[in-house]
Amino acid sequence: MGKFEPRILGFLCNWCTYAGADLAGVSRFQYSPNIRVIRVMCSARVDPVYVMKAILAGIDGVLIGGCHPGDCHYIDGNYYTRRKAAMLKKLLEILGIEPERVRLEWVSASEGTRFAETVKDFTETIRTLGPNPLKKGKE
Amino acid sequence: MKCAEVIQDIAAAILREKLVDGVLAFAQGVDMSDIVPILITDEQDARKILIASYQPCSLAKLASEYGGESKKLAVIVRPCDARAMVELAKRKQLDLQNIYSIGIECYGVAREPQGEIYIFPEEMLVDGEVKHLNKEILSPSCLRCEYPIPTMADVSCRIEKDGNCLVAANTERGESVLSAAKITAQEKVKDISPIKERALKRQEKEFGEIKGMEPRERLNYWLRQFDKCIKCYGCRNSCPICYCEDCYLEPERLLVQKEEYPPEMLFHITRLIHIGDSCVNCGQCETACPMNIPVSKLFHMMSKELGVLFKYEAGLDVDSLPPMSTITEEDLAKGGVGLG
Repeated sequence: MGKFEPRILGFLCNWCTYAGADLAGVSRFQYSPNIRVIRVMCSARVDPVYVMKAILAGIDGVLIGGCHPGDCHYIDGNYYTRRKAAMLKKLLEILGIEPERVRLEWVSASEGTRFAETVKDFTETIRTLGPNPLKKGKE
Repeated sequence: MKCAEVIQDIAAAILREKLVDGVLAFAQGVDMSDIVPILITDEQDARKILIASYQPCSLAKLASEYGGESKKLAVIVRPCDARAMVELAKRKQLDLQNIYSIGIECYGVAREPQGEIYIFPEEMLVDGEVKHLNKEILSPSCLRCEYPIPTMADVSCRIEKDGNCLVAANTERGESVLSAAKITAQEKVKDISPIKERALKRQEKEFGEIKGMEPRERLNYWLRQFDKCIKCYGCRNSCPICYCEDCYLEPERLLVQKEEYPPEMLFHITRLIHIGDSCVNCGQCETACPMNIPVSKLFHMMSKELGVLFKYEAGLDVDSLPPMSTITEEDLAKGGVGLG
């Protein structure tokens, strides 16, 4: 068994966090290469079922990125996301999986550094938590 | 008068007065242990109505199926049915204006069909003899139930110790039902705190067992439970709140490939995500489950936890929307990523 390298899935909102990630890239900020990004039109598009499907499939952490409250391109999508994230954390807790594996962050299009910091920090959090207990097969 | 007779009288009267087009209730099937749902449209048939000690299916679900704008229905409900109807009304699956709900006080239903068809409170006189409620036969979700009196229904019938029935109207519509049936309403106050206390204690015990486990142990517990699942879809089909016609869990709907079954854990988790915030703890899912998975326990626990988080209680107020499909003024004022 090799060294544990977390695998993180990111659902990033098209208008803020994805642009923030883009800015981080363009500005050449260094951050952990552990994140795989899926671009969604709004963070509220992320059905909690998708997150659970990823976790059941063995992903170590899920990052959901949205616009800051009040900045949503669709006016109030991110407020729904916040409720969904709160529900997901409760669900994970009941099931016996660490709720920290799901993280919601507000990152705006101008916050490239914040995105890089968030990914770095989240990767370290997951690293301390260890692999997803549901991960199947060889490590 | 006995409770069943009162209910039968009310049903006959509202059909006679053309207040409703039909009455949904339970009746006896081929023998005493066979209880079937029945839609009565003729007042003669009102005598068939039973107050059964077993609940084979949810009448709330049938009410949303049979009711409609052109068809007014009365439904003989238990508190869980009444709450499920409120939840369905929030989801625009039925219009409470077209439905009269006649509630019966309920201290739980049996887990399996019983030979004797009656329900009773804590203790009851049967042929001059005091009989105590046998808690062993009760469905596990009933033991956790805090709502013995259907205050959300239009009319609620209370069962006295001697088997007699007192009727109260909770809404104006309920009063019109009682005036049609020429029954005078009785006072509606009853102290339910001992029952609530007992239910909460039971919840604490059952949920505490699970919460007390170490996370890994808890995960293994649920994995073991979900492993038993044979994907019969019984829990989904019997759940009164699961209303989607085009279910996520059907093949070719994103999660499940054509001619395949949903993966082990995802089946229950998807359902939990969809309706976990609004579970009314009717226990139909667990009754339907052929593999004895404690589905109802999981859903009730989830809805209780989310209820604390979102300050929400399912099935009581038709104006408070499910937490997952609404945002409040309070939310708008908060800036962080958490709700706390």
